[in-house]
Amino acid sequence: MNRIRKWFRYDNVGLLFVLPAFLYMILFVGYPIVRNVILSFQDVNAGNLVRGTKNFILFENYLELFKDNVFRTSLGNTLRYTVLCLVFQFLIGFALALFFNQRFALAKPVRGILLVPWMIPITVTALMFKLLFATDIGVINYLLRSLHLIDKNIEWLTTPGTAMFALICANVWIGIPFNMILISTGLTTIPKELYESASIDGANKLQAFLNITLPLLKPTIESVLVLGFIYTFKVYDLVYVMTSGGPVNSTHMLSTYSYKLSFEMFKYSKGSAVANVLLVILLVVGMFYIKITTKGEED
Amino acid sequence: MEEKRVSRNKNIILCIVSAALLCLLLFPLYWALITSLKTEQEIFQNPPTFYPHLLNLKSYAAQVETGDFNMFRSFGNSFLISAGATLIAVVLAVPASYGIAKYHFRGRKMMLLGFLVTQMLPVSVLLTPMFIMFKNMHVYNTWVSAVLADATIGIPFSVLILKNYFSSIPKDLEEAAYLDGCNRFTAFVRILIPIAKPGVMVCAIFSFLYAWGDLAYGMTFILDQEKRPITAGIFNFMGQYGTKWSYLTAFAVVTIIPVALIFIFMQKYIVSGMTNGAVKG
Amino acid sequence: MKRKKLTALMTALAMTTGLLAGCGGSDGKTESAAADTAGTETAADAAKTEEDAAKDDAADTDTEEKDAAASSAAGTGEAVTIWYYWETEGHQVALDQVIQDYNGSQDQYEVTAKYVPFADFKKQLSIGASADELPDIAILDSPDHASYVEMGIFEDLTGKFDVGNYYEGTVNSCTVDGKLYGVPFGVNCLALYYNEDMLTEAGCEVPTTWDELMTTAKALTTDSVSGLALCSVQNEEGTFNFVPWLWSTGATSYDINNENGIRALTYIQDLVNEGVMSKECINWTQGDVMNQFIAGNVAMMENGPWQIPTMQSEAPDLNWKVTLIPKDTEYSSVLGGENYAVINGGNVEGALDFLTYATSEEQVKFMMDKFGYISADKNIAANQFEADSPYQPFVEELNYAMPRGPLAEWPSVSDAISLAFNQVITGTATPQDAAAEAQATIDGIVQ
Repeated sequence: MNRIRKWFRYDNVGLLFVLPAFLYMILFVGYPIVRNVILSFQDVNAGNLVRGTKNFILFENYLELFKDNVFRTSLGNTLRYTVLCLVFQFLIGFALALFFNQRFALAKPVRGILLVPWMIPITVTALMFKLLFATDIGVINYLLRSLHLIDKNIEWLTTPGTAMFALICANVWIGIPFNMILISTGLTTIPKELYESASIDGANKLQAFLNITLPLLKPTIESVLVLGFIYTFKVYDLVYVMTSGGPVNSTHMLSTYSYKLSFEMFKYSKGSAVANVLLVILLVVGMFYIKITTKGEED
Repeated sequence: MEEKRVSRNKNIILCIVSAALLCLLLFPLYWALITSLKTEQEIFQNPPTFYPHLLNLKSYAAQVETGDFNMFRSFGNSFLISAGATLIAVVLAVPASYGIAKYHFRGRKMMLLGFLVTQMLPVSVLLTPMFIMFKNMHVYNTWVSAVLADATIGIPFSVLILKNYFSSIPKDLEEAAYLDGCNRFTAFVRILIPIAKPGVMVCAIFSFLYAWGDLAYGMTFILDQEKRPITAGIFNFMGQYGTKWSYLTAFAVVTIIPVALIFIFMQKYIVSGMTNGAVKG
Repeated sequence: MKRKKLTALMTALAMTTGLLAGCGGSDGKTESAAADTAGTETAADAAKTEEDAAKDDAADTDTEEKDAAASSAAGTGEAVTIWYYWETEGHQVALDQVIQDYNGSQDQYEVTAKYVPFADFKKQLSIGASADELPDIAILDSPDHASYVEMGIFEDLTGKFDVGNYYEGTVNSCTVDGKLYGVPFGVNCLALYYNEDMLTEAGCEVPTTWDELMTTAKALTTDSVSGLALCSVQNEEGTFNFVPWLWSTGATSYDINNENGIRALTYIQDLVNEGVMSKECINWTQGDVMNQFIAGNVAMMENGPWQIPTMQSEAPDLNWKVTLIPKDTEYSSVLGGENYAVINGGNVEGALDFLTYATSEEQVKFMMDKFGYISADKNIAANQFEADSPYQPFVEELNYAMPRGPLAEWPSVSDAISLAFNQVITGTATPQDAAAEAQATIDGIVQ
């Protein structure tokens, strides 16, 4: 009893706060992770999904993947897409958060309304952007033509490069409110007094931003970026609805390719292998995040 | 942090700028709204029209009931699922993020990594194992399965966001509470949660919206049309028989309205909850 | 103080675990509730339908009857479930009608149908197979049939249904190693629709060969109208629309990298390069193609008979006709449609009983009529339509229609074919390279 009491006296109590949520996640997602790893080392397809032996073929699925053009394209696409989306939505979101942090009459209502893009199911957003980017009837081409920026309609979704651009636009549009709100909320944790004393010390706004806002916002920025990275990296609905990976596989992402292999082509093991590559990359990002956020802590 | 009230002239300029921003960012929504009011012929017109020349409300009538799909019932389902998922996410994530932020127990890093990892799998590989689990738990084809699955999106997200709020709360505040006779649990409930309110609010909102927008879980784990969430309705307006843009955009408008109304009516609480809870001290 | 702290923590933990357990508890309740709410739910539905019926009287009587029948029979028969993917309301209502009539005709079985969207259908069957949670009957897209047979989830129906009069291609689509694993639901194929007014205005004849088609399409193309459109999405739907062109040259699905295959790819590429077919086709489903046709943006389209009911109701004034797909060396079309399959391990007797009912001439005629499909039974199909019916050209086209596969790996072959066509349409590969690449993929699948 004494030992138990002693155990509870220190930081170990924190474990009790964390455990319920942790167990919940392990319960529901732990099994899928393990199953997926096993599946990726097997040779499961339509023939042996239900009956028959599932042979272990170890890394053969992975080796095959690296010879697969579509896989290589998807890997490159996913990285490019994630980085570009992240940069734009973060910078715009940050700028908007700072802008609406000023006290003017419309600041709060407008910031609230800007959340609306977030309330639309992603599949619907994807379809809306598909309509906006349509070649002949799309309003984007119409506006560009009216402004004399282009003479001929751009075939947004039917040309490889521009299709990717359209996807990024749609994702940034969804991502802006996400970044803006999280950073806005992060800004509220910075005590006002710091700015007051800084201005007494003669610091200008830029200095205050660099020396107070950024450092104190660091944990929020790190979380927003890592979460943004994860959610963007495993993007599925948006790409599936807007381009389905086309034209000619040029916008396939790891997640859409994994889905296609698993559920359209009955190559379950290969689909799992693709998902695992995605997982490993995110794992590296996650570990990097933990390393920088817990720097200087023992444990 | 919140800046001082701006001067009158600046106020006007900022209001104009923000209105312009609003128009720019919400243009896709405006386009969805007017598309929903056009006839299919007008949608395909080139050049496009910026307001419906022939008002068509058929698309809205079609939302109410198509086949087995009933919009009002689906709304109820979605609401139930989202509220349930939000509740689980908040109840589990708030203490968890506090534990991670304030205690340096062994395995803390590992748990933090765990919360990150568990949201990294793409849906394509989550669906089958989750399906098998829900079947064994006898919740397959009930909204409970969607609640449980949707909560797995909200929890890790909330933990990672909230831990920053809890770590930004000065330690002396907690210690003062202990001096007042609080134990760690009551200090957490009475002192820390109220301070972290903006964060909790944001997490609740995001958890709700993640669940609200979910399609894959709701479609896969719930087979009865009458139990499915509102997002399932999208299949009535797209697919192998063609995308009916007016119906589809009407569907988008209709799905946004209730959530937007909740936000507008609760704006005062939500926005102030999100931004006014600054740490004093 | 310490003890207090400890108990408080324990309570906290208990509360959270209690919450979890609470979920578990309520799950059980909902589950058992779900099992016996069938009756009450339908009763509620019936009440609601009555309201609706009061609002717009005649239209809803069908469903009211259906619900009444459901509640009267609820709980009495063994359950038989069906999965299908038709999102068109007319299709759903017609199927429901047949099911309700069946349920009303006997007491032993109670059939219910569940809608699983087309985009989700294969996924749901795959997952269901892994989790052993499948319906008793699946109504699925015919080219996928062989894959599920390979999966081993379908019951062998050899000798249980007389398919002697059925179109050979449709029977082949559900036959593997000489055994019958399904019953064709109905067939369709693709043909060429044309806007008669546009043709008359341009002074064109109805095209019958590829050359004539090119000339006609050019004549019909204006600033706002494309001469021709065909669904070119990069999936099975696209393959469905491409293979008639491929096969017309004499190439097969498995042998593309030759003069014939390349000629087919070149022809489609020329259609795009000449500006008579929009590149946007790679984003248009068959339904989108139809919508463009109705809107007058497209003068001719390749499409199926299931669009006819929609076209008649949405564009009653549009003057269109249907003809055979123009040929290169031979007329060619592709066989489409759904098959019934019975899941093994389910309620096989009930499923067979229902299928025997649903494949009877009377029911088939009723459904085909409502669906805009052609009966898979040649004898029924022969007299199904009037001579001047827009469906009649499709019945003729059926003589030239071949099935895709059947092959368990068809999805992979199909992927290679649709990719090749997409490459030439978008100009990302020459017909020669596209054919060679597709062939390499196909050779890796079919030895």
